[in-house]
Amino acid sequence: METYKLTVNGQPREVTVDPGTPLLWVLREELKMTGTKYGCGIGACGACTVHLDGVATRSCVVPVSLVGNRPIVTIEAMAEDPVGRVVQDVWVSHDVVQCGYCHSGQIMAAVALLKSMPKPTDTDIEESMGGNLCRCGTYVRIREAIKAASLQLR
Amino acid sequence: MQANNIMLRAILFILIVCVWSASTLTGAASRDEPQKTNAGGSIRAEGLAAWQQVYAVLTHPRCINCHTATDYPQQGDDRHRHFANVVRGPTGEGVPGQQCVTCHQEANADSTGVPGAHDWHLAPLSMQWQDPNDKILSSTDVCKAVTDRSKNNNLDSAGLLKHHSEEPLVLWAFRPGRGIDGSMRTLPPLTHEQFVAATRTWAEAGTPCPQNP
Repeated sequence: METYKLTVNGQPREVTVDPGTPLLWVLREELKMTGTKYGCGIGACGACTVHLDGVATRSCVVPVSLVGNRPIVTIEAMAEDPVGRVVQDVWVSHDVVQCGYCHSGQIMAAVALLKSMPKPTDTDIEESMGGNLCRCGTYVRIREAIKAASLQLR
Repeated sequence: MQANNIMLRAILFILIVCVWSASTLTGAASRDEPQKTNAGGSIRAEGLAAWQQVYAVLTHPRCINCHTATDYPQQGDDRHRHFANVVRGPTGEGVPGQQCVTCHQEANADSTGVPGAHDWHLAPLSMQWQDPNDKILSSTDVCKAVTDRSKNNNLDSAGLLKHHSEEPLVLWAFRPGRGIDGSMRTLPPLTHEQFVAATRTWAEAGTPCPQNP
């Protein structure tokens, strides 16, 4: 077991875990932040997406030992984030969610996209969101919501 | 009269010695020339043999999976398309929601089976070692690409040797860590030390490339 000092949503946190523990389980089990979801566990579905130093990151495949001093931002902080707030609003106004399980990850990926590419094309959206799977098939609404958020953020 | 004869004999002797020396030296030089040619041919042959060793490494999945001609990387020993709809992106580092570093960190994550090294990214399209149908290019074509400074980030032979010796992604290929099932990833056919030695031999031979058959 090792002790790690993390910065999660701007707050210093300390955890003592096995170095190989994925960040996802540190968030969910150690810090009780359950907004980030477990989907596939192999980085193939995107449900566990968080931001690591601003980069959309699959927390299920990143061992806590490799996080270093990079700040971690989770879905719990999106309501306070200027882009995250807009994305969450359009997610509601466009009735994007069906079962909702994957949408923590969808929103985190969408925010990462809009922060680095404020006016994404359909292709940009499809490529950037292509690793975030939705078993309910809400992809069309996700794309429309991202385009709406893009318009609102201009 | 006798003194003149002695003088003439001495001159004749000196001439004979000079002619003999010259012919001996010329003979030695002419024997050296074929040796030089043989040595040159031998150096080139050794260089080409070393290149084939380098080629065997470059075309191993640990290397060639990220030297594609397509819009995506490959993974696994069967070189299948990278899962999760990963795409190349404008700089070979993926796209905003799906950058290489979305999963690949600074080091191998053996507990989760994701490989990692500093600056994980796809090789540029100019350094593609496959065709658009994922078929590996010939030894000749890969050699030409690797040595073409308009394609290889302007690396000369010393630069190529340094790249093969020190580049973190090259080093990763020889320490690729564990896959998702916990087993060690397969390694290129040479150790890193052998790879660098083969590159050095090839570089010192002038980076010769084989002819297409």
